[in-house]
Amino acid sequence: MIVATEIAVDVVMPQMGVSISEGTVTKWLKREGEQIEADEPLLEISTDKVDTEVPSPASGTLVQIFVQEGETVDVGTKLGQIGGSAGAAPAPAPEAAPAPAPTPPPVSVPAQAPVPEPVAEAPAPAPQPVAEPSGNGKFVSPVVARIASEHGIDPNQIPGTGRGGRVTKQDILAVVESGASPTATAPSAPQAEAPAAPPQAPRPQPQAAAAQTGEQVEPVSAMRRGIAEHMRRSLDTAAHVTSAIEVDMSKIVAARAALKKEFQSAYGVNPTYLAFVARAATDTLKDYPYVNGELRGDSIVTRNYVNLGIAVELADGKGLIVPVIRNAEGLNLLGVARGIADIASRARDKKLLPDDVQGGTFTITNPGGYGTFHGTPVINQPQSAILGTYALVKRPWVVTDEDGNDAIAIKPIMNITLTYDHRLVDGAYAGRFLRDLRERLENWEGDGG
Amino acid sequence: MTVAREAEPVGSLHEVREAGLDREDLLSVYRNMIITRGVEERGHILYRQGKIPGSFYTGRGNEAAAVGVATAMGPDDVGTPLHRDMGVHITRGVQPWHIFAQYMGRQDGPTHGRDGNVHMAESTLGLIAMVSHLPAMLPVGVGAALAFRIREEARVAIAWFGEGASARGDTHEGMTFAGTRELPVVFVCDNNQWAYSTPTHLEYATEHVADRAQAYGFEGVVVDGTDVLAVYREAKRAIEKARAGGGPTLLECLTLRMEGHAVHDDAFYVPKVMFEKWAESDPIERFRTWLRANADMTDEEEDEISTGVKKLLSDALQRAEQSPMPDPADLLHGVYASAEDLDTPHHK
Amino acid sequence: MAELTYLQAISDALRTEMRRDKRVFLIGEDVGVYGGAFKVSLGFQEEFGPWRVIDAPLAETAIIGACTGASMMGLRPVAEMQFADFVSCAWDQLVTVAAKQRWRVGTPVPIVVRLPSGGGFSGGPFHSQNPESSFAHVPGLKCVCPATPEDAKGLLISAIEDPSPVLYFEHKHLYRRIKGEVPEERYTVPIGKARTHRLGKDISVITWGAMVYTADEAAQQLENDGVSVEVVDLRSVMPWDKAAVLDSVRKTSKVLVLHEDTRTGGFGAEIAATIAEEAFEDLDAPVKRIAAPDTPVPFSPPLEKAFIPQVEDVVAGLRDLAGY
Repeated sequence: MIVATEIAVDVVMPQMGVSISEGTVTKWLKREGEQIEADEPLLEISTDKVDTEVPSPASGTLVQIFVQEGETVDVGTKLGQIGGSAGAAPAPAPEAAPAPAPTPPPVSVPAQAPVPEPVAEAPAPAPQPVAEPSGNGKFVSPVVARIASEHGIDPNQIPGTGRGGRVTKQDILAVVESGASPTATAPSAPQAEAPAAPPQAPRPQPQAAAAQTGEQVEPVSAMRRGIAEHMRRSLDTAAHVTSAIEVDMSKIVAARAALKKEFQSAYGVNPTYLAFVARAATDTLKDYPYVNGELRGDSIVTRNYVNLGIAVELADGKGLIVPVIRNAEGLNLLGVARGIADIASRARDKKLLPDDVQGGTFTITNPGGYGTFHGTPVINQPQSAILGTYALVKRPWVVTDEDGNDAIAIKPIMNITLTYDHRLVDGAYAGRFLRDLRERLENWEGDGG
Repeated sequence: MTVAREAEPVGSLHEVREAGLDREDLLSVYRNMIITRGVEERGHILYRQGKIPGSFYTGRGNEAAAVGVATAMGPDDVGTPLHRDMGVHITRGVQPWHIFAQYMGRQDGPTHGRDGNVHMAESTLGLIAMVSHLPAMLPVGVGAALAFRIREEARVAIAWFGEGASARGDTHEGMTFAGTRELPVVFVCDNNQWAYSTPTHLEYATEHVADRAQAYGFEGVVVDGTDVLAVYREAKRAIEKARAGGGPTLLECLTLRMEGHAVHDDAFYVPKVMFEKWAESDPIERFRTWLRANADMTDEEEDEISTGVKKLLSDALQRAEQSPMPDPADLLHGVYASAEDLDTPHHK
Repeated sequence: MAELTYLQAISDALRTEMRRDKRVFLIGEDVGVYGGAFKVSLGFQEEFGPWRVIDAPLAETAIIGACTGASMMGLRPVAEMQFADFVSCAWDQLVTVAAKQRWRVGTPVPIVVRLPSGGGFSGGPFHSQNPESSFAHVPGLKCVCPATPEDAKGLLISAIEDPSPVLYFEHKHLYRRIKGEVPEERYTVPIGKARTHRLGKDISVITWGAMVYTADEAAQQLENDGVSVEVVDLRSVMPWDKAAVLDSVRKTSKVLVLHEDTRTGGFGAEIAATIAEEAFEDLDAPVKRIAAPDTPVPFSPPLEKAFIPQVEDVVAGLRDLAGY
């Protein structure tokens, strides 16, 4: 039998039947402080099924009663204590600590409506012959997405032979096997700009032309074919017009010099000129939604978010990939700089995920790395514009002081182009966009806010 | 109209000796009945102390029927006892600490917490574990008898069922098969007159359950289930008849279920006069009186048994309480059997 | 080696085991004097006697319950349900007692229940079902479905050897229509291992039982289209060879799960869910299922033909997948 106890033994509400979840204490047969023997009836309880006595689980003193007559408690609740020392009533379940006020994250990415996936629609169930996708891009199946990210290939660059023109596993494996799995380099791109979903109809394998004397002939790779088709289609689709503006980057240069050390040491990130321009451009897009928009059939689509594509060149001129920084409108300079550094390094290491190359709304390309001062990039379908940044060059520049006197100064000048689809964006609209962009860049303060 | 034979009560020690029990055996029977009741009374307390999860069933009032039949079993016979037959487990040698550990769902219980109540069995003691669907074990008992018949072994299977469960098809199918093949099985009906709240006249339309035996081609016997010696004598007859190739018997032991269906049931639907009448026929009290009168059981002997059992049970409880709760990490083990599992005396 | 029909292979396995091991016995309705409704045990009672080939009463609960009890006493019973459809009469014994005894109390129940299953000959609703998925769902029971004579023999021997309860689904429509080379000696086919019935690289068909042949015929037609279809014969539904299925799916990236049982809750659903869960990144098309519609099995030939997946149905499904 259980011996009289020095240590506390709990008296609990028993479960008098499988479906019973609570019981009521109807009568204590002992008072606090009284002695009791093990198995001696200690209290009476009542449940839905039956009324019964509860025998004491131990011999000793009924040191404390926690639940009074008439109270109803859950099965398992401590009713009293035999032996040990009387303490405070058992602490009720500790209240959940009040949730701390959420601190705004340093790089806030506000919750947005789910980003629509232009390329995520499954093809129609009935086998349709190659349906014109109206610029939405194509469905990428899980296995294709995985192979694409493993090899740093943009599935939208590959001709698809599947239903609705989608890229099948065979199609992308063919690309992989042909050796077109290049590494990505730092953002700089020649004129082979932002490629996107290629047309659907499978093209016949071109015959290798016979080599004439002095000629070398190589077959066109699937990726090259994809790029060629996209470029052609983009030019055939959009009404490409380019406007350019020259920007005095003095304030940017100063800001960059001021922030560079802090960004490097505190965040491990280099604030490139591209980051500044990207930040300013994203802000400017708020006021010029068509530049961030899309002509979809008979509708114009605009968004309250910016998925910023940054063109990344693949090694040896093999092609391009345009990874996307999602919701760039919520990022400050640091956030943008980090975003660019992240996607560039992941593109290099072939660690991009399928999400990273889809859903862009606006693209920036930076051909200026080689020194070019102007260009006319091809729009990345189905977007409506692409921004080009060029070499930062010190130029003699006319400056006017407060009194209206002109003088020549040496200024760091960058040419920036906006190539836009004139079906949707008119010249004046584009011009105002560029003007506002320049204003932001020329009046930059600190980290831009 | 009654068809079954109604058994005579047992009178003297001499009669008992003829049936195969000597004085030592009788004291042993008495002790087993005391242990049986003691285990269940302790279990009842543990349940109300919140130490036994789920539900709790006793066979109070059935001690004589259970111990009586089990005492008549041969060492190599097997049985499928039910939840009113704790006396069978005790008589066959199951240790009380196993039973407490089983009740409390502990790691060292026979089912390691995987099943509760008396859903346990020690196969080395010739016991097969019951399920909740009654009387699903009846055809299984018939199967054991079939094995004995196929192998021409002189062993008998005892298949228990209640008067309520007798309404189900398993009873009919099992008895049909056993009767047509004259298998060595004894069917024991624990008729405690209440299946939960359902009285006998809503479970069978004959006067006795045992009246049906004739329809299956064998004898039916009704016995006073509170008379342990009468039960023993009839069980012994039936078991030996089966062992000798005489086929099945249906032995109906009549008692009253002295508590609710389970501990949460206060049996308000049982007329008080029934409880009063059958309390006068308490199996343990009845046998104690008989032993005092016919076998000269002394105060010392009685005290020795009583004290011994108290100690046995308190030691058993202590041991059971030391067993830990089972580890959920083991949950998936043993869904399928392995070759090693077949390494028992039975399966070879 | 001998060329045996599927039915002869089953008899061969049973006879081999009954000769080798005295503990093995057969019990069922009409299995003794009559030799079994399908003549699987023709001549057995003459050889083994009435206590090893037992004519049971019309009482499936008693048959299965008796097998359970006898197996606990050391015998190795093989029960024959006259038609798989009648196993529902013994559902309680299988699910409540046999399936749970080992896990609950450590007592193995080494029984085999043979179940002549499947339709295609106007058997109607009660003589044509394929109930494997209900039992595959119950922990503790094993379910096997051989398609070839060679597997029929090896799997029955494995089932008899297995210490757990095994439901052996023998497809009636294959009994006499399928012949194959069967080794004369005693051998086992492991429970839980699939077999590649046909090697391919463009689409995987996962199937079992009589549908293996339907899949094969359909695959042959697709080959003429230039599409290479792999047919995986699961052989065991519980446990099932997940590794083999996933390997095939990873290879082809397009998969069709095919079974004769009805669609909703048929075992194909478990396979399809597992593929979606564990091979998501290897899929080039949605996981497709072809199965019977959710009705009882019809009797009249045009209705039954619309019920049981036909070669044309599988061809259409494969073409759909190929063109995705």
